Amino acid sequence: MIARVPPAPGTLASGAPALSRAAEGGVPALAAASALQAARLVLRRDLQLAFRKRSQLVQPLAFFAMVTMLFPLATSPELSKLREIAPGVIWAAALLASLLALEFLFRDDAHDGTLEQYALSGQSLTWLMFAKTCAHWLLTGLPLALMAPVAALSLGAPGTSLPGILLSVAVGSVTVSLIGAIGAALTLGVKRGGVLLSLLTLPLSLPVLIFGARATQLAISGAPFLAPLELLAALAVLGVTLAPLAAAAAVRISLE
Amino acid sequence: MTWTWFHRLASPPYAYALAARLTPWFAWPAALLILGGLWGGLVLAPPDYQQGEGFRIIYVHAPSAWMSLMVYTTMAIAAAVGLIWRIKVAHAVAASCAPIGASFTFAALVTGALWGEPMWGTYWEWDPRLTSELVLLFLYLGYMGLRAGIEDPQRADRASAVLAVVGVVNVPIIHYSVTWWNSLHQAPSVMRLGKPHMPATMLVPLLMMLLGFTLFFVALLLVRLRGEILSRERSASWIREVVRA
Amino acid sequence: MKEFLDMGGYALYVWPAYAVTLTVVVLNIVWARRALTRSRAEARRRLIAQGELQ
Repeated sequence: MIARVPPAPGTLASGAPALSRAAEGGVPALAAASALQAARLVLRRDLQLAFRKRSQLVQPLAFFAMVTMLFPLATSPELSKLREIAPGVIWAAALLASLLALEFLFRDDAHDGTLEQYALSGQSLTWLMFAKTCAHWLLTGLPLALMAPVAALSLGAPGTSLPGILLSVAVGSVTVSLIGAIGAALTLGVKRGGVLLSLLTLPLSLPVLIFGARATQLAISGAPFLAPLELLAALAVLGVTLAPLAAAAAVRISLE
Repeated sequence: MTWTWFHRLASPPYAYALAARLTPWFAWPAALLILGGLWGGLVLAPPDYQQGEGFRIIYVHAPSAWMSLMVYTTMAIAAAVGLIWRIKVAHAVAASCAPIGASFTFAALVTGALWGEPMWGTYWEWDPRLTSELVLLFLYLGYMGLRAGIEDPQRADRASAVLAVVGVVNVPIIHYSVTWWNSLHQAPSVMRLGKPHMPATMLVPLLMMLLGFTLFFVALLLVRLRGEILSRERSASWIREVVRA
Repeated sequence: MKEFLDMGGYALYVWPAYAVTLTVVVLNIVWARRALTRSRAEARRRLIAQGELQ
């Protein structure tokens, strides 16, 4: 991440691309909307902008596939052995891939002053952070959850385990997006903040890793996996209530 | 009445002077307690019936582990106070805590490993406590890394404060998840000393060490706090007197 | 005395553990004092540069 001084408060960053990006998502309309409408506007904007740069969207997913592939090559092609490490491999790869995508969560918005417009718009920044996190999950977490079963198959998981794997990654990645948003907000503008972002987010995501890998492991062995899945869901609920607040506080601090 | 005391503490020159005055009151008792605890633990306490003389590592491992947690909690509380009430001195306290806590977390890990080898037959063991301790070390490093990475000191204060608060909320969750994970794999029984209750000759030195280290932490904190306060006061007139002295 | 140093055979573990902890204690003292000295020197320099001292 390039260190960048945000434009002075109250001024809009100059440049036609910035304005068109801003106008695209209806930033001027933000102040007039209700909290829910504003959140929806931000969500829609993030999704639209992301789909313009589809190559950037695909990168974390390609990374996930690549990392998954490393393990058979590094250990053994025997499916029975791979099946044992599959939960760990999938979850470690998914976490790392999510981290990659988190770097971009705020970068462009901070770059062109949109983030400041959010902070100054009078809208609840917490809701807007929730919206941005939703966008991140839809663009990264959900695709990873859809890819995870495929990766699991390649590592010897039985077909019956696939729904469980999809579910656990889907729920777990919600919390990762939420925690990651806090980290991304804190490391805004820090030189080479990507590594620091990982250092901050990974310890906090360990519970997700532990419960998620356990759920995946149980699914692969055919056992009921509801208990860890429920723990994952509990973490997600806790995250949804608290994380956007912390992210909003972090964004305000980073914009000072 | 109580609030004036709080507000006075928030005043940098007052806090600075108070820290300077209080330091010996914590440093010397700490030294006495630690020396006494070492004597009691190494010489006076009888060997454990299961672990023999090896159990004596507890007299340095337990205080280190205690420090790592206590300092993190202090750091988080100070950070929260600094965030909520915007008190620079509180941020200075939080900043002072981090290196102390990180170094004792390291000590706890190393002494834990040295205790593990003769007792479990392995230097490292992914038991809940050691694993949580390792995660705590990363939390400290992340905190210090964030502080170092942000150039503006005020922004560094506030950003790292958010991180500390988020971290402290997570510590129990992390500990629970690690314990849960560990229990699944029928880990070897947790380190425990032979008898269910420690006799006084074993317990008293341990308490002395715990208290001594706590006082030591306060003394260290007070010394570091002064430096942190100074670096946050750009051109206040009271600094002139301090620096001239 | 020999028995004390031998620590019932655990000397290889007990003494390094104590050594590491002692080192951390001493280093903390050194670092804290050095940090304070450095801050004072910096504050001094700053004030001189601002013309408020000397």
